This record gives sequence, C-alpha cells and structure tokens, in this order.
Amino acid sequence: MLRRFVFLATAIVCLISAGLVAYEMSRVGVHQGYAPEQPIAFSHKLHAGDSRIQCLYCHFGARTSRHAGIPPVNVCMNCHGMLTKQSVDIEKLKELVERRQPAQWIKVHNLPDFVYFNHSQHVISGVACQTCHGPVETMARVRQQAPLTMGWCIQCHRSRQVSGPHTPAANLDCGKCHY
Amino acid sequence: MANDLTFWKNRVHVETSREDLETNRADLETSRRDFLTRMGFVLAASALAGCSRGAVQKAIPFLIKPEETMPGVATWYASTCGACSAGCGLLVKTRDGRPIKIEGNTESPLSGGGTCASGQATVLSLYDAERLKGPTWLGVPVTWQDVDARIEERLRAAMAGRHNLVLLSGTIVSPSTRALIAEWKARVPTFRHVVYDAVSFSALRRATGACFAIDGLPHYRFDRATTIVGIGADFLGTWLSPVEFTRQYARRRRPDAAGVMSRHYQFEAGVSLTGTNADHRVPIAASQQGAVALAILRRIAIEAGVETGAEQVDGAIDEGAVASAAEDLWRHRGASLVVSGSQDTATQIVVHAINALLGNIGTTVDIESPSLQKQGDDRSLAQLVDEMERGDIHGLMLYGVNPAYDFPDAARFARGLESVALTISFADRLDETASLAHAVCPDHHFLEAWNDAEAVTASYSLAQPAIAPLLDTRAAQDSLLKWLGKEPDFYAYVREFWRSHIHPTDARGRTFDELWDHALHDGVYHRDVPAAKTPPFRPSRAFTAAWQSAAHEVAGQGRSSAAPAADRYELHLYETVAIRDGRHANNPWLQELPDPVTKITWGNYLVLAPSLARRLGVESGDVVRMGIPDAQIELPAYVQPGQSPGTVSIALGYGRQHAGKVAYGVGANAFPLVTSFDGERQYHRGGVVLQKAGRSEPLATTQAHHSMEGRPIVRTTTLSALLSEETEARPEAASLWADREGGPHRWGLAIDLNSCTGCSACVTACQAENNVPVVGRDEVLRGREMHWIRIDAYTGGSEDHPETLVQPMMCQHCQNAPCETVCPVAATTHSSDGLNQQVYNRCIGTRYCENNCPYKVRRFNWFRYAQNEAFDFNMNNPVGRMVLNPDVTVRSRGVMEKCSMCIQRVQDGKLLAKQEGRSVADGDIKTACQQVCPADSIVFGDLNDPESRVARMRAGQRHYLVLDEIGTKPNVGYLMKIKNRSEA
Repeated sequence: MLRRFVFLATAIVCLISAGLVAYEMSRVGVHQGYAPEQPIAFSHKLHAGDSRIQCLYCHFGARTSRHAGIPPVNVCMNCHGMLTKQSVDIEKLKELVERRQPAQWIKVHNLPDFVYFNHSQHVISGVACQTCHGPVETMARVRQQAPLTMGWCIQCHRSRQVSGPHTPAANLDCGKCHY
Repeated sequence: MANDLTFWKNRVHVETSREDLETNRADLETSRRDFLTRMGFVLAASALAGCSRGAVQKAIPFLIKPEETMPGVATWYASTCGACSAGCGLLVKTRDGRPIKIEGNTESPLSGGGTCASGQATVLSLYDAERLKGPTWLGVPVTWQDVDARIEERLRAAMAGRHNLVLLSGTIVSPSTRALIAEWKARVPTFRHVVYDAVSFSALRRATGACFAIDGLPHYRFDRATTIVGIGADFLGTWLSPVEFTRQYARRRRPDAAGVMSRHYQFEAGVSLTGTNADHRVPIAASQQGAVALAILRRIAIEAGVETGAEQVDGAIDEGAVASAAEDLWRHRGASLVVSGSQDTATQIVVHAINALLGNIGTTVDIESPSLQKQGDDRSLAQLVDEMERGDIHGLMLYGVNPAYDFPDAARFARGLESVALTISFADRLDETASLAHAVCPDHHFLEAWNDAEAVTASYSLAQPAIAPLLDTRAAQDSLLKWLGKEPDFYAYVREFWRSHIHPTDARGRTFDELWDHALHDGVYHRDVPAAKTPPFRPSRAFTAAWQSAAHEVAGQGRSSAAPAADRYELHLYETVAIRDGRHANNPWLQELPDPVTKITWGNYLVLAPSLARRLGVESGDVVRMGIPDAQIELPAYVQPGQSPGTVSIALGYGRQHAGKVAYGVGANAFPLVTSFDGERQYHRGGVVLQKAGRSEPLATTQAHHSMEGRPIVRTTTLSALLSEETEARPEAASLWADREGGPHRWGLAIDLNSCTGCSACVTACQAENNVPVVGRDEVLRGREMHWIRIDAYTGGSEDHPETLVQPMMCQHCQNAPCETVCPVAATTHSSDGLNQQVYNRCIGTRYCENNCPYKVRRFNWFRYAQNEAFDFNMNNPVGRMVLNPDVTVRSRGVMEKCSMCIQRVQDGKLLAKQEGRSVADGDIKTACQQVCPADSIVFGDLNDPESRVARMRAGQRHYLVLDEIGTKPNVGYLMKIKNRSEA
C-alpha cells in the first residue's frame, strides 16, 4: 500500500515537474509583461490617453518604415519647447538637448533577429496599434502586453481576409517573415 | 534541337577534387565517444540558455532627425563608380546612413544599369579595416595641420628654388580634377603631371593620335557591329570599359528580338571571358597579334583595291579563320569592328587601317567623342623614373598609383624615390608605395567624396558622398587645393567648374542651379554638342602612308622573330575579371569570386595548354618554375583546354604584400615580368623556360563542385538551326505531385544564355545583397563556398578548339521541389507565390535537402562565419559588418541556405505597391542578379501574367527548363545558347 502510494506520488511529482519544465521551456524568450524602468519616466497614459496625441504623431515611422521608431528629441520639443509646465523628467529631456545627447531608452518589444516585421505593412492594412501593443494609452510605464510568439502572429494572420484589391490577405508563407 | 557535343565541367579537375574530398572525409570521422560528448554539451548549453533572461537592449533615437533619413527605409544617391576609369553610373543604396549596396544607374547612357564584379565589391572596400585612420608623416600618425605645415613648408622651398614637382597619377576622368591640375601647372611652372596606368593602353593611344589626331581613345560601339573581330582584347572582361561593351555586345546577341545576331571572331593566346563567348575562337601565340592584324589587313586591302606594300608574315596562323573573318568583315563593312589589345603602336595603326578601309570610322569606331580613359603614357613615366634616379625630382605626389608594386622594375622605382626630397601619397592604406613615402594624406573612398567624371567625351556623371567620411581622411583634391593656398572645398570647386564650363553649353535654357540639381539627381548629364563640325572621316594621304609604313613594320617584326627554340615558350600576362590590376586585392568578395574562365579562387596560377602539360609532365596543381633571364616565378599549373600551345598565361594583380591581411601572400606578383618594347610596356614576352618544381599546391577551384553529374543541363544550337527548325511542342509529363494551388503571383526568372557572358557580376551582387559569407581558401578547397548563384562552365569539343558554355545556376524554385519532400522539420516549404522558401530558424541541419537537390544549389553553414576569428574577413570586424543588409538574416552555424529569389526585394516591391495603392507592375521588382547584369540576361517577373517579360521569354522558341524530364517544374527557365558560326 505504502509502496503504491510512494510510486503514485513520485509519478505525479515527476509529471508535474516535467509539465512545468516543458511550459517554462516553451516560454524561453517570451517576455510578456516586460516593463522595464526607462531613463525618463515618459507616460503614454498622459500623452496618448489624457492628451489624446495620435500614436503616429510621435511614431511617424510606422507609416512608411519597418520601424515605428522612437521619436527624436526634436519631436518632443515641438510641444515642450512651448509648454511652461515643468517636471523632473522634462528637465532631464531639456538637459539632453543641451548636452546634445539622445535618450537611451530600454527597448520593450523585441523580436528575434530572424524575424522580419514591418510596421508600415500592418498600419496600411488597418491594424490598430493596440492590437499588438495593448492599451498603451492607459499605461504609465509601457509593458509588453502580447506574447509576440509566432503562434500569436499566426492566429491573426489566419483570421484576416482580403481587405482590398491591392492589399492582399495576410498569408501564412514562411517567407513572409523569415528570410 | 539537341546538340551533338558532349560537355564536361573539367576532366582533370573532376579527378583531383574528388581526391581532395576523400582526404577531407578522414578529418571528419566522429567516434561514438565524440558524439556523446557533443550531445551532452548541447543539452547542458540549451538548459543554461533557457534559464537566462534576454539581454537588455537599448533603443537610441536621433537627437534631431535629418529630414531625408528614415530609419529602416533605404535612401538612394546617384553617384559614379570609382573602381576603374570607366566611371559607370551608380545608384548607392544607403540604410541608416550606411551605403550597403551599389546598383547600376539605368539613366547612364554608357553603363545603362549594369555594373561589374569589382564595382559591386567597392562598397566593401569602404569598410576595409586596413584603411588609414588619418594622415601620417614618416609612418607616424599626425594631425592634418601638422602634415599640411610640413608639406607646405617644403613645397614653398621647392617652388622658390624652382625645383621639379611631379604629380604621378592614374588616369583621371574627372574634368574638375583635371582643371585643378591645370591650375597647378599654371601657378607652378616647375610642376608637371605624369599619368600612369598599371595596365597600359599607351600604344592604342599613340596610334589613335597618329591616325586621327585626337588625344584619347576611340569610343567603340559594339552595338553597331554585325561582325566583331577581337585580337587579344578581352573587351567583355577587362579591356577598357567592359560593362559598357558587354551591354552593347549583348544587344546583338538576341536572335529572336533583333533578328540579327553578330558574329564574333576572337584571336587570343589565353582563354579570356571574351574568347569563351566568341562564335569562333582561334588560339594564337601572344606574339602573333600583329601578324593576325596584318593578315586581315592584306585581305581587306585586296577587297578595297588598296596596296598594302607589306608582305605576309610566315607563321602558323589559322589562314582559314583569318579568311572567313576578313570575308565577314568586308560583307558587313560599315557595321563591323576590329579591336586589338596589342601594346605595339604599329599593330594598333594596322587595326585602325582595317577599320578605316571597312568604313567603320564614324559608325563602330567613334572618334567624334573619344573615350578619355587610360590616359597613361609609358614614355613619360620611363622618363620620370630616369629623372628620379638622377635626383632631378624634388617633390613627387602619388595619386591612385602604386608603382612600388606594379611598375615592372619596382626596385628601381623605390631607389628613385629615395632621392626625392618630398614624397606624398594619397593612398588609402600603407600600400607598397605609400609605406615608402614621407607623407601619406589618405584620400576619401569614392563613396565619401564629391567628384565628377567624363569617361567618354560629353558624357558626364557626378559623384556625391553617400556617407560622411568614416575616418579622418581628406579628398586628394582638397589637399591639392589647400597646398595651392586655396579653400579646400572640392565640392565648391566642382560646382564652379560646372558653372563655368558646362552650364554655358547647356541648350535647355536652365539656370545653373536647375542644371546642377537635375544632374545631381540623375547622376549623369549629356552635354549637348553642337552638330558635327568635322566632316566624315576620309583616309588622307598621310594616313595611308602611316598605316602602310606600320604594316611594313609589323611584317618586319614577324620576320625578325626567328623560330623559337623548342624548349622556349611565350608568356602572356593578363588581368582577371575579379582582381584586375591588383588595386582591389584586399577585397575578400573579389578574392573568393571564381574566375569566370577557370573557376579558381584565391590566387593566380600558370595557365598552360593540355599538349604542353603532357610534354612537361605536369598536371593542374603541380608547381612550375618559370624562368626568364632576369627573374623566376613559381606558381601552380592550371591546364586549360584552348590555351595556345606555345604560350603560358599568368594573371597580374596578385602577390600584394602591403594591401592588407586578406590579400597578403595570395598568389605571386607577375608585374616584374612585364617588359618594354619601343617605349611601351609589353604584357607578353618570349624565351621563357618552364621546369617542374617537384611539389604541388592545390588550386581552390569550384569547377567540379556541385556537379549535376553529366546530365544535359546546358543546351546550345546554331543560329541557322534555330531559324530553320520548327518549335517542338513539349508534351506535359505525368507528375506524382498534386497540382499546387496557385496564389496571386508566381515569381520566376528567365535567363538568356545567349547574352550571358559569364562575367560573374551577379555572383558578387548576390553576395552583397544577401549577406553571403566569405569562407576562405581552405574551405573552398573543401567545396564549401557559400555563393547562392554560381556560373557553371561546360567545355566541349577538342582540347585545342574547345567550346565553352556558361550557365548561371541558382535555386530553381521548383514547383515540385525535391528538397521540400525530404525535410523532416518543414524548414523548406513552398510559398503561395511559387517560391521555395528556406526558414533558418526551423532548420536543424540534416542536409537531406542538399542531397536531394538535383541542381546542387543549397549551401550549408558548416561554421559560424560571422564574428569568428577563424574566418577573419569582413564579418569578423565591426567596420566590415556595416556592409550587411539589415533586411536579410545573418545565418548561424548548422543551417542550410540558398537563393531566396531576393525575397526581401519581392516583399519590398509588394509593400511599395500596397503603400501606393496599386498592384505590382512588371519590372517593379528586380533581383540583385538581374539588376547588376550588364547584358540584361536575367529577367524576373510574374509567370501568372502572360504579358510579363518573363512569361513572354518563357513562351519563346529557345526556352527550356533544366532537368525538365525529372518533373521538378522549376520557376527558373533558360533560353538556349546560340552559336552564330560561319558555315565556311
């Protein structure tokens, strides 16, 4: 009886730990929920949420380039050059301009080098920024909302249909993203 | 349309390479113990990798973004190639401020969108880690102020003392730079300019001056010639302006389009790229160029009813070939062309006379707007060296030349340098000559500088910086301006030159700024020349007298060269398509480019005919000691069918000692073997003794690699057969595969084997576009070169008169791909656009696909070629990696790769159409191999669209699919090679 119990218990423990290991292994390189502290505590909630600044005003690269891009400081200064309100972080920004040094942001959304992703392709096809980046306009500090795994990409690519004569359907060709 | 010849890749090398592969296999044996050790390591490593968090990555935006730069989007600048003096128009692709790819400028009336292999590779030279980081004085790095102060002080002293100052440069095709030099001449009476080309055209220049009274070379027009005779001139590979000539030549090699196909005779000693393309190739001894020209002249003169006054030279010339060449020339007089690579002025005058008697002057030989390339004058250089030895030269500036390496008597030049009080070099590295100079003032790379070019009179092009100078360099022109006491701003100088010299003749009524902006945008500008003021060329009495005496001289030379002794041979020195005169020797892309004819990489060798090899008892790879009275050189032999039996050939440009670590010790320098005759440097000589050295050195040839084992892969027919034959209807073969569901597109390529010359520019273009690594000589010897596209050469016929066919071979993107069915992890799959895709992150490296590929186009990453000390080429240093295309993955070890049909360009073309709200149009997308091709032989397009260019080519009579019978249904098709043979 005891022997049987021990055997069963061991088997269950083994199975659970194997399952946990397998799960953890499948999450290698997945950084869902990653929200690093940034050198300047820029709040998307304040800018995109409360002030309703369009995403593409700052991330203008998303319209034409594969990179959405982080706005150069001159874009920040378009407004902050005129706004009188000051804070410690705005001071940091102005200091950078004076020292002529760009800000060193911590990249939140990282894709592996063997994946080609193009922002403009998705923006033209009418995919909202929030589809992949989550409700950024509510985030005081940006965090990675989606897992950004291939399975997650594919899910969306499977469901999308032809959206116009010149915008062919998102397809499942490997060579769409891997080359 | 089957051909009756059996083609082989190379009889000799199939044997040797197999042996090499056998010996290498022994090194690769793995014991069970090794296997378990490695297995354990891999498990432990992957467990460790799983535990770690990814490294924190930073994203650093611009502080203030320049308006014209968008991260991730390419910016294109029109510019001019600086690889040689042909000055081809370029479009430079820059990404995030870095030039990463060079493309031909389709607006250019000369090069028309084509480039050559060395032009393609110059973008890598920009990131050469051996470039000087700033000026040096006596080998010590100094500041520009410091070096300027020292130089200016000495120059002032020299000017005050009326001492001789000389600028020794290569050919300068920049009119603004020439104006600047003229200004030096005007300001400094004791200053003079000597031009020196390592591979000289000085005889052709002298002959052209004597016959037509022009200072330049004729501008040849192969596109107007129905009969072409080349006498030792490799005009498709290395001679004068190969890109332009290939483009012109290819236009006359499309029998179905133009209906007319040129007939090309080539008389030459070594087998050149041009020779392999000829309809009739006739091997001659290197010294027989004059005799062949004279024999043709005699026959043409008889037809024209003119007296030559010179008798026939006795010698073993193929009279039949000469007769049929002369007959064809006469039949197409006015639309024929004879060119010669001879460095004998009399021979070149004879060639001009042939063209004049044929009425070709003004049609195929344009002397109205002469070519301004190759301005080198051998006699003035010889005189300069004499003066240097006597100590008469006080200051010497060296610009774009390296005489301590490529002057035949380099030691004498170096001795002469010692007596010069001030030597300044503008070299970009401490090369053989710069390391002997007092001051080195490194020039910009041409992609960093402003410049202009006029390679052919009235055809201008501009060069603009595509990147800010990477290093503390300064344009040579800025240095010259500074030392003349002017503002060192060559940009302003070029603009001013254009304002004062070019704008006044502009007939379109534009302001100067409009003209400049247009010219800068287009990259090229054609000056409107007033209607021809000179009457059409008529042979004058003086001209006739000149060529008659030249013919007499050539006949005399033929007689005086008595029959050589049986054990004395002739030597012929030539340039290879990749390395040319050695200037780009430190470029690993070029070193690893298989020679278009021999397919050998990394080094030079002694080419000899099979009959001579048998007589000497040597085989390819055996080292031969070649002796001439004053020098000796040891090189491995290469047995080449078609080589003239009495002549051995050696490539110039190798054996660089101070070019950098890539070039160091690769091959042997053949420039010391160059001789002189009648004041002109000669690239052939007699009295050569050959001896077996008793050892061997393997040749890193790719010829027998990736062989398709003798199946009928390359097909050919003759023009008459093509015109007479009915198109065979090809029955559809039964297939085991179900038909594929088609997508909106089916991308495919059509490759015209008839216009393809095999120049191999596509190989380098593909390497640049797709981040193809360089693997080095040892790995090439193991058959592991990584090129995605290769040029297969097949040889057939007799060993004295072989026929060579070339075929670019890359992934055929089969509809029923054998690789896809054997991949256990579905790492290679078919796309809805008909492409065969390779997914690196899925690949586990079983190599089943490579084994099952009937075309042998898949390449395996045996090592990590990036950031690996064992492969110390451009991918091993941070500067060299700047050339990498950010849109293409750098592959890791253990994965398979192959031609993707430039899927990144396909995606880009589709995206652009999407952004502009339209469908992809035919011609929107060009693969890298297509874009570079000077012959326009490769066409990419949508096979689903029956109106696309590629679909129309596929519907043509000459089209075939390689290994069609095995049912792979490739999306890449070929148009059969046509030989336009004389029936006589």
